[in-house]
Amino acid sequence: MAFKIVVCIKQVPDTTDIRWTEHNTIQRDGLDSVINPYDLGAINLANYIKSLNREVEIIVVTMGPLQAQDSLHEALAMGCDEAYLLSDKKFSGADTLATAYTLSQFIKNFVPDFKLVICGQQAVDGDTAQTPSSLAEKLGIAQATNITKLINLCDDYAIWNKETQLCTQTIKLPLPSLVACSCNNIEINPDINSYIRSQKSQIKILNAESLNVLENNIGLKGSPTQVKNAYRPIITRTTEFLAESSSDAYADFILSEINKCKADND
Amino acid sequence: MTKNVLVYIEIDENKAARVSKEIISHALSNFSDADINGIVLADEQAINLALDDLKKCGVNKLYILKDNLFDTHSTCLFAGVLERFILENKPDILLIGATPDGRDLAPRLASKLNIGLTADCTDLQVDSEGKLLATRPTYGGKMMATIISKTLPDFATVRPGAFKYNPNAVHNEPELVYINPDISGLSSLMEIISSENKPRIDDWTCSEVIIAGGLGLKTKENFDLIYKLAELLKAKPAASRAAVEQGWAPQDIQVGQTGNSVSPKLYIAFGISGAMQHTAGITNSDKIIAVNTDKDAPIMHTADFAIQSDAVDIINSLIQKLSN
Ligand SMILES: Cc1cc2nc3c(=O)[nH]c(=O)nc-3n(C[C@H](O)[C@H](O)[C@H](O)COP(=O)(O)OP(=O)(O)OC[C@H]3O[C@@H](n4cnc5c(N)ncnc54)[C@H](O)[C@@H]3O)c2cc1C
Ligand SMILES: Nc1ncnc2c1ncn2[C@@H]1O[C@H](COP(=O)(O)O)[C@@H](O)[C@H]1O
Repeated sequence: MAFKIVVCIKQVPDTTDIRWTEHNTIQRDGLDSVINPYDLGAINLANYIKSLNREVEIIVVTMGPLQAQDSLHEALAMGCDEAYLLSDKKFSGADTLATAYTLSQFIKNFVPDFKLVICGQQAVDGDTAQTPSSLAEKLGIAQATNITKLINLCDDYAIWNKETQLCTQTIKLPLPSLVACSCNNIEINPDINSYIRSQKSQIKILNAESLNVLENNIGLKGSPTQVKNAYRPIITRTTEFLAESSSDAYADFILSEINKCKADND
Repeated sequence: MTKNVLVYIEIDENKAARVSKEIISHALSNFSDADINGIVLADEQAINLALDDLKKCGVNKLYILKDNLFDTHSTCLFAGVLERFILENKPDILLIGATPDGRDLAPRLASKLNIGLTADCTDLQVDSEGKLLATRPTYGGKMMATIISKTLPDFATVRPGAFKYNPNAVHNEPELVYINPDISGLSSLMEIISSENKPRIDDWTCSEVIIAGGLGLKTKENFDLIYKLAELLKAKPAASRAAVEQGWAPQDIQVGQTGNSVSPKLYIAFGISGAMQHTAGITNSDKIIAVNTDKDAPIMHTADFAIQSDAVDIINSLIQKLSN
């Protein structure tokens, strides 16, 4: 029986490539969408497991608009075997709770015999890092986030390296379980065979009905959190430009400011 | 009506984690008419070692849940225990520090309770009806979003360094409430095989003076001067992400949206342009000095003092003065 891995990816705006118009506003047109960098790490990890001489099947999934098919095509070219897009107007406006629920319904209905779910540690557009833990709970399985390395994979457990604030841990998790992978900025070049295969692979598009979801738990309706107000960060400081002077004089100024705040403390 | 606020207190090196104290300080001075309580889950030994410090946190009641299985810090176990506690005690507001463990635990707990969670907040206020207004940076810090939740309790995680810890604001000792946690049917599902402590950069995010360097320093050799200067000043060095990406500094000392939030008395930015993602991490500094050759760089309008000059010249001059 194949060892099934579900990889969850998210398509995000390419925030590293923000261009400005001549009027100093963000150029929205032509802002590319890319696979969330941490999710490349997730794909890479799945590929690594596949390389361990096993009968591994990688199922890649994303919930998003139809354009997200581009990311799935890319994921297929990078070695994923099957791709699913969860797309429905009813899914829109989902916060992480509704997203996790929707993803869990997909996994329960379409990959019930999964062994491992791999997510990225966080999405760079929102940086919330909530979906993986929330999804693990909905699936009722063990989880570990901030995973940096797979040490050993056995039939019913896996051993991982995990980073916490204080230490690097080696942990053992039963299978099936979910890990969120904290390796970003990974470059994966599509390999030629996968690329050719991906041209023939069909992305399966699933709507709310086919996932058997409760309507009250998806999209805007299923999202307890709402944005009340969004604004540009306001800077309340008034800046004093120091008059043109020598670096020696500037250094004296800086030292006097440092001494001031050290004196405050005594 | 008095709001019941519950702060999950993490233990870090035999003390209440700094971020937990920051959250309590903020709640004490910003949430009017609130009853602020803390909850801690740990094994016997960890509680005993940390108890003195835990008592100084400033909460009214401190719920202490002891179990020797808690030394695993297993999210599955903690989430299960907390769920039971919350269903029974019904706090109005629940707050957790956005540490790696907190960010692991909070979404699992929210998912269990089917409630909303606002992660990584940099500001928390309570409106006239007592609803939590949780503000967090999004789109890489280019925008701030204030989020409310339709469900109860209101639930947020808070970035370390986002609030100031004020030890003087705390006077009273808490009432200690020992509870035997009900862990029936829960298991930790995770086993720690080994654990290697990382070298600790102690509380640098709130040190008095932070000397930060960016891409404007141009070379690794120049960036090394930041370390030298910081050492001479007993200050802490920090870096922009661009400098980290060059390999000039470790990620641990990156400041900004995807690094650390800092709240020093004085933040000095040498050769940093001041992208929103960077400045998102320094807004709580008392004073900011920017040194940049470009007078139009954004940092030059974010700082209290803007110095248009070559950063390396000034750093060298400072080092020279301090070495004498
Ligand atoms: C999702 C996301 C998250 C991010 N998170 C972070 C984060 O956490 N922290 C962070 O810092 N960045 C972050 N960034 C990156 C951020 O957008 C900027 O790219 C980065 O902060 C720029 O670093 P810098 O100011 O050192 O470099 P630059 O922007 O290249 O600025 C260098 C500055 O040095 C000045 N300069 C040049 N020569 C000299 C000289 N001789 N003396 C003095 N000044 C000189 C230049 O005028 C310029 O202003 C993030 C980006 C994204 C997309
Ligand atoms: N819409 C989505 N579809 C599939 N996976 C997602 C989606 N949103 C988040 N994820 C996964 O959850 C991780 C963390 O995302 P976030 O919680 O948004 O920071 C991502 O790296 C993905 O692996």
